[in-house]
Amino acid sequence: MASIVEDVRDIADPDVGDALALAAFVLAKRFAAGATLWCFAPEWPAHARHVAVEFVHPVLVGKRALPAVSIHAVDPSCALRSLVRPGDVVLAVSGPGSAATTDVMRRAPAWGATSIWITAGGGGSHRHTSADHIVPAGGHDADSPAEHDGRLVLLYHVLWELTHVCFEHPGLLTEPDVCSGDGEVCVTCSDEGRVGEVITADSRGWARVRTSGGDEVIDTTIVDEVAVGDLVLIHAGMAIAVLP
Amino acid sequence: MSDGTDFLYPFIEADERDAGSLLVDLAESARSKVATSASLRSLTLASARPAIASAALAMSSRFRRGGRLFVFGNGGSSTDAASLTALFVAPPWGRSLPARDLVDDTAVLTALGNDVGFDLVFSRQLIAHAQPDDIAIALSTSGNSRNLLSAFGEAARRGLLTVGIAGYSGGDMARSPDVEHCLVVDADSVHRIQETQAALGFELWRGVQRDLQRDEEVP
Repeated sequence: MASIVEDVRDIADPDVGDALALAAFVLAKRFAAGATLWCFAPEWPAHARHVAVEFVHPVLVGKRALPAVSIHAVDPSCALRSLVRPGDVVLAVSGPGSAATTDVMRRAPAWGATSIWITAGGGGSHRHTSADHIVPAGGHDADSPAEHDGRLVLLYHVLWELTHVCFEHPGLLTEPDVCSGDGEVCVTCSDEGRVGEVITADSRGWARVRTSGGDEVIDTTIVDEVAVGDLVLIHAGMAIAVLP
Repeated sequence: MSDGTDFLYPFIEADERDAGSLLVDLAESARSKVATSASLRSLTLASARPAIASAALAMSSRFRRGGRLFVFGNGGSSTDAASLTALFVAPPWGRSLPARDLVDDTAVLTALGNDVGFDLVFSRQLIAHAQPDDIAIALSTSGNSRNLLSAFGEAARRGLLTVGIAGYSGGDMARSPDVEHCLVVDADSVHRIQETQAALGFELWRGVQRDLQRDEEVP
């Protein structure tokens, strides 16, 4: 049995149970409120299709079909920007160094979307990004990469299974999120610093930005010039910082 | 969460406790599914080792002769077919090998599905592309998909090497004389089967790479 225990340690991060539980619970809540799940996997597009088909066409008879879509584009941010509505969920299956994934995760707050990142192990940019939920496969193994040996498939399968368990608790799915309040941005708590994505900017110091609450016009005079696509931190109707 | 202000939010606190116990159950369930998957994978790879080695040897001799690999499946298995194809074409190490998945081209797939029926979407592609040195791999959890069995029939008639990756007890795929090598994940959960099927596909690929590496060794 020792070998099986080692295999388990090998196959998934020890904390992955908690990460999957929370991601599934939030995903179920979003679905219950009418969300669409947008899946993308820049390096391994087949994984995004696999996630989407799980939700759209459940293998277990009696489980409800849920709106999930896989997107394959050179620039996922560009493809998702017009499709994602506030309350939706974006889900990436990609390596920790995926720049295209990081870009979507940074923008998700401005789109009002919750983000989930299912990722192969190893250090990388995911440690430093603002993805709401990171679900990592276990130890980095160059000889048997998680994206090829079934370990990433396992993670999104379990995510699907747990999401459907949550639907057996409909009362819990309508509760508002509890804000952790530990980030620099907290939409639920305050206007401390909401993220906006610049839609248009003019030379007189005004910009139209997209935020989780809809489009708004903000004053940009106290920050450097902003360009379309920039992410800004908004406080009291003003851009107080351009996010790097 | 107890910071001394819980009494201010009695309802939130009550709900949090409920969601909390659900989250504990979910995490426990996740860990148990991961463990089940790991043990199924371990047991299957151990018992399939000779079958994997013999299929990999047959595949590498085809690749040496210039053969190409065609991979296909339905639904989730079609995506696993695409992942396996990508592994052969763009490997993390070793040689890049010619492989195509037969689910990639939606124009071809919908043309065939619409005109001749879904049962023939793969066999008709093999009629167009296959050469005697080629290889066909199909993935199915049930082992019973008619379009896969029909494609294996066509592949066998054309002299292709045929490798099936199935689940449950292997279904028709395990019994078909057209399937030369059949690797079966003996389980009854579609999810757990697919996870181990991916591991089987990976071991198959690894076996092929190891065989081909021997060609590079100086005698």
